[in-house]
Amino acid sequence: MDAIATRNLTKVYRGHIGRGAVKSLDRLTLTIAPNEVFGFLGRNGAGKTTTIKILCSLLRATTGEAFVMGQDTRRRATRKHIGYLPENPYFYEYLNPRETLDFYGELHGLTRAERAAEWDRLAGLLDLRDIAGQRVRGFSKGMRQRLGFAVALVGDPEVLILDEPMSGLDPLGRRMIRELILLLHGQGKTIFFSSHVLGDVEQICSRVGILVKGKLTTQGRLDELLNRRVNRVEIIATGLSEAAAAAVAARSDGVRESEQGRHFFVNDLDGANAVASDILQSGGTLVEFTPIRESLEEYFMREQETVS
Amino acid sequence: MRVLAVARNTFREAVRDKVLYVLLLFAAAAIFGSKALGWISIGQDIKIVKDLSLAAVSVFGVLIAIFVGTNLVYKEIDKRTIYTILCRPMHRWEFILGKYLGLAALLALVTAVMAAVAAVYVVVLGGSLDVTFFQAVLLIYGQLLLITALAVLLSAVTSPILGAIIVFSTYVVGHATSIFTELPPQFDGTFSKRVLEAVYYIIPNLSNFDIRAEAANGVPVAPGYVLWAMAYGAVYTAVLLIIASLAFQDKDV
Repeated sequence: MDAIATRNLTKVYRGHIGRGAVKSLDRLTLTIAPNEVFGFLGRNGAGKTTTIKILCSLLRATTGEAFVMGQDTRRRATRKHIGYLPENPYFYEYLNPRETLDFYGELHGLTRAERAAEWDRLAGLLDLRDIAGQRVRGFSKGMRQRLGFAVALVGDPEVLILDEPMSGLDPLGRRMIRELILLLHGQGKTIFFSSHVLGDVEQICSRVGILVKGKLTTQGRLDELLNRRVNRVEIIATGLSEAAAAAVAARSDGVRESEQGRHFFVNDLDGANAVASDILQSGGTLVEFTPIRESLEEYFMREQETVS
Repeated sequence: MRVLAVARNTFREAVRDKVLYVLLLFAAAAIFGSKALGWISIGQDIKIVKDLSLAAVSVFGVLIAIFVGTNLVYKEIDKRTIYTILCRPMHRWEFILGKYLGLAALLALVTAVMAAVAAVYVVVLGGSLDVTFFQAVLLIYGQLLLITALAVLLSAVTSPILGAIIVFSTYVVGHATSIFTELPPQFDGTFSKRVLEAVYYIIPNLSNFDIRAEAANGVPVAPGYVLWAMAYGAVYTAVLLIIASLAFQDKDV
């Protein structure tokens, strides 16, 4: 059974006077296995939030179906399995974290004793104890995100759906969220999260899907998608005579100079090794030898260009 | 229970609404000010104070129902607090009902406070209270329950401003529904007559809840009538809440 599955999910927003209908999502078919960390990528307006809102039954799909843990998302009981963190989560400003978690626990159908236990568990996990009595009104972005995560985890759902969980956070906050996602992955949870920060995705996702203008253009494992072959090597050397440097440059595909030394670029690994031994034989010192692989960012840009 | 959780929070939030206190202040001013009108009508002052105080309870109760009620669901969507609520394993009608009950509880408190102020004022002025006064207060609350249901319905489907205009118009017209049936003879057989008659059946007849004159003059009202009027309001309220739930069922938020 897939943790999340969508079949030909399409969402057309009805037009208003003077504005035509907008197709936000176009026949999206997606499957995410249990315990996967899935990164859902796309530019702003690509349809990521629309997909997430359909999964959480905040929006009705125009056509198509969505399932979480094998159950139709339109069914009430399905939502017991889902923990949702919206982008920039908003909570009642006049409640404090403890009251907030209690409220969501009650909506989740937990008894008073279960809600108290949830508070103990989540306050520890997300470091909420120091702010337990403060009203949400004065919360910083990072505090809100922590509370949002805690709310999503109320009732211990198997599937977590996170909409841009790291947007607007400082480096420390981002790191905390990353570690939390990995921790939850370790506990067997399925994590589906959208992002346009590719570095974060690359670090923690096992699979990604790329959405361009409402269409899924790619879906797969990161190591399969990215061309992991070394397509370029950067070599930095110092202590070469002008003549030796010119000879080495002749065998390279590019050269530049910096304070660190001379940078030689070679487009294949064997050639790079030959260049490196030339440098050493000419009495030079090898400072750096860096194979350059394709990053998710480069892949993502390539994908955007192909479509447009 | 999920409905009660939503209701409790709605109550807590509404109690913090500043508009509530401004309106309560005006209501108090209207109740105390009624003595001025009583004073110019020699020997009738207690009657006038009772009549105007009950009118103030009704009008300010309705204004609170309108200002808070037409914002109830709209605000949750606008402030996006609704996202983390509707994604829980709850029915959407539970949310609507919870919001409604929260405001209904607040209005019960507000009506009781305003009525108590009015009652104490009447006694201080040397008047006496009879059971009809309290029956009138109960019926005012019955009317507020109905008006609130309409406000909640509109807050789920339209903006607060449009909602407030519709609810207020309904309140005004609802107190004078007979104008739709007592038409001059030139309307006989026309299309307009049929439309106006249809409106008569749709708009709640709020004058059913109005026994202010009886309360002011100490004329007894049969308990059976009060019961009938409350039942009338309950049916209307239930229908409005069902429509609100249906309208909200598939709404994109």
